[in-house]
Amino acid sequence: MTAWSYYIATLTVYFGVNVLSALSLNLQFGFAGVVNFGYIIFQAVGAYIAAVVVLGPSSGTFQQYVFGARLPFGVALLLATAAGAVLSLLIGLFSLRNIRRDYQAAILLIISLIGTQVVQGYVPLFNGSNGITGVPRPLSALPLNLQQYQWAYAGWVLLAAGIVYAVVTWLSRSAWGRALRATRDQEDAAAAIGLNVTALRLQVFVIGGAVAGLSGGLLVEYIGAWSPDAWGYAETFVIFTALFVGGIGNYRGAVLGVLLVPIIFLEVPRFLPQVGYPGLMDSVEWIAIGAAWMLCLYFRPQGIVPERRNRARRGEAAPHAAPVRERVGAA
Amino acid sequence: MLSTLVSAIGFGVVLASIIAVAAMGFTIQFGLTNVLNLSFGAVMTVAAFSAYLANRHGVGGWFGLAVGGVAGAVFTLLLGRGVFKQYARRGAQLFEMMMVTLGLSLIINYAIQAISHNNIYQFVVLPSSLIQLGSILITRTQLIIVFISVGVLVALQLLLQLTKIGKALRAMAADPDLARACGIRTGQIVVLTWLLSGFLCGLAGVVYIVNAQSVGYTTGQLFLPLVVAAAILGGAGSPIGAFVASLIMGVVTEVVAAFGNASYSTVAGFGILVLVLLSRPGTVRGGQAGHTQLTL
Amino acid sequence: MLLVARDVVVAYGGVRAVNGVSVDLAPAASLGLIGPNGAGKSSFLGALGGQVPLTGGSIELEGYEIGDLPAFKRARRGITRTFQMTSEFARMTVFENLITAGHGATGASLRNVVLRRSETRQAERDVATLAWAILDRFEMSHVADLYGAELSGGQRRLVEIMRCLMREPKVLLLDEPMVGVAPHLVEKLITDLRSIRDDGIALVIVEHALEVVQELCSRVVVMALGRPIAAGSFDEVVADPAVQAAYVG
Repeated sequence: MTAWSYYIATLTVYFGVNVLSALSLNLQFGFAGVVNFGYIIFQAVGAYIAAVVVLGPSSGTFQQYVFGARLPFGVALLLATAAGAVLSLLIGLFSLRNIRRDYQAAILLIISLIGTQVVQGYVPLFNGSNGITGVPRPLSALPLNLQQYQWAYAGWVLLAAGIVYAVVTWLSRSAWGRALRATRDQEDAAAAIGLNVTALRLQVFVIGGAVAGLSGGLLVEYIGAWSPDAWGYAETFVIFTALFVGGIGNYRGAVLGVLLVPIIFLEVPRFLPQVGYPGLMDSVEWIAIGAAWMLCLYFRPQGIVPERRNRARRGEAAPHAAPVRERVGAA
Repeated sequence: MLSTLVSAIGFGVVLASIIAVAAMGFTIQFGLTNVLNLSFGAVMTVAAFSAYLANRHGVGGWFGLAVGGVAGAVFTLLLGRGVFKQYARRGAQLFEMMMVTLGLSLIINYAIQAISHNNIYQFVVLPSSLIQLGSILITRTQLIIVFISVGVLVALQLLLQLTKIGKALRAMAADPDLARACGIRTGQIVVLTWLLSGFLCGLAGVVYIVNAQSVGYTTGQLFLPLVVAAAILGGAGSPIGAFVASLIMGVVTEVVAAFGNASYSTVAGFGILVLVLLSRPGTVRGGQAGHTQLTL
Repeated sequence: MLLVARDVVVAYGGVRAVNGVSVDLAPAASLGLIGPNGAGKSSFLGALGGQVPLTGGSIELEGYEIGDLPAFKRARRGITRTFQMTSEFARMTVFENLITAGHGATGASLRNVVLRRSETRQAERDVATLAWAILDRFEMSHVADLYGAELSGGQRRLVEIMRCLMREPKVLLLDEPMVGVAPHLVEKLITDLRSIRDDGIALVIVEHALEVVQELCSRVVVMALGRPIAAGSFDEVVADPAVQAAYVG
């Protein structure tokens, strides 16, 4: 029973973290029209910053890293969020201009590859390929046994994900969110009615980056370790597939997609009898992800969960969501 | 110091030759179809494995090049007509198409991983003797590779400049609608593009493993950023541009590796690609200005 | 003088799409830009609106130089436009299209959204009121909840125009407004534009349909190959032999 409990609790933590990732990507794609294939680097920076801030100073022999301030975990999470925001501000400043979307996606992907190489190459930064381990558990002072602690942490992650979900959906329904949708649809027309397209896009990108940093901080404080292998760019594709399945630009759909893809789709094979040589199932899983990706692109580019139409009422400042109805027109 | 530099340049030229064959193939494909085909590397790997298997079954030595080239050509044609064209029919634009190639690369690469049991296989074509050119020490095989890439360049240039088909290719790459209006059989030209670029892709895959003397499922994919960078830096559709750009990429990569860290040479290559993508003129996104189209 | 453009030059690479065009625009004036294909009319309009960078010359709005301002800043100063292909936000309803324009810089700013001061809330209510007023004025209230894709071409064009009006602009640039509008709606659109002009908004219209220009524009400039070849009232310009030559030859 304990093994099951550990497994489900861990899965819940991953679910919460993946929801945060999906929200971040959805924000950046649904509103800024940016396909952030380099997502993982923002999650990684949050994880690394949270890790080195919480650990004591580097001894240099066991593992080398910068900072090492032994700060409390709340501060670590805040710094992780800030790190994600700052990194996305820097990257956004030069990569959010008006270039072909396919080039832009490729650029972001390459940037994350560069990040991996830099971390692996410059060991004093984050201990290179070996990564950082031994990150202490938050709140280890509390009198919880291991199982209770894991469930408590899972609950905490779900709470964080829920809060971010609420904030993000609220922002999307606001005038700001509407301006962004306009920008995405018709950039020139949006500018012609006074919207500062570049600034809006950058804001979205930075908020997405902040959420990404938070997700990294939450994850590293659970796992206790982080290394470049943990953040391969392939993980980003899994989340994107989740978004496709659930519906790009659609937050409820994003949560559904995360449930279906990384959690159910990728975990179910664990319980199937082993076929072929060890490791074959891993390859097959990736093939399945690729196939799901292509199928979604072919059949339902708008995803599974349709968006709601917003109806206007006289006397009210903003339109309200009407009952669910299929969106008309091309996606 | 100087000899290190010269030796690095020598290696850079070898690396550049390998990149060049792939880049010339990529640029022809990209220049005409406008698809940012990120499954190009996967096709290289398929062709490389084809040559490996042929080698295991007695088709030895440099005939592997032909095997790889044909495998690449056929496979690319299948993908082009059977996959990319179908998505274009469903209304895929530039960006969706790139996503399709990404998904495809996942499927192909991991299928190869599955079939190859995630192993790396030895691939030795000829016992290779060393040649000394000043302070440059390369093998005979590598010198042959350099000549192959130059040969490909010359052949492509002759094709594009002197033959009727070449002119049709250039016309279509420049303005597909106008080419169609002038009576050029665009469907046939697209098929030819898949075959030609696929052949070069396959050729590049075999050349790569001849140099690396091993083949695994990551063969093509690791190589791809350098290839894409060279093709776009040299200007889409221009084999000479791709060749020159490949020289730059190859030499920079090897020089940085010689004087710094191996990791940093990869960063240098990636960095060049990012700069190239940022600086190359692209379409205005979401605006009312003109549109780069897919030609499939 | 509301809008003054002097010796505007727009060059793409080596080609001068606009080669020295000057224009004076007073409030409630309506200027028509006509000419054969490739004359540079749309490029000139783009130079005025900020969609196209200015290679040479100057553009002043109420005495303030706007030639180096990006499009969104010019819109905030009072110059806005429609596009050749109707640019309604297809994934939003008509009402949302309008209020997005109304919020423009202030309401849409992240800071205002987060802080929700009472001025912001009042501003949002005012914007909604204005949107309904405009919808009523152009008899489009019944389509307020429809998406762009569900409208006819003429309705989409009207949405685009109404959206511009939400900004209470001083100058409205229209790039071939009758494209995609069914013939029986053209007359209504002309009436609507006339009433907009009568409100004091200056119009600059690029149009191929000469009867529209005749009905709507008090002054006409004819362009060919990037240069103005005639200017005056519609009748004067149409009778000009140089203009006739440009269209035919």
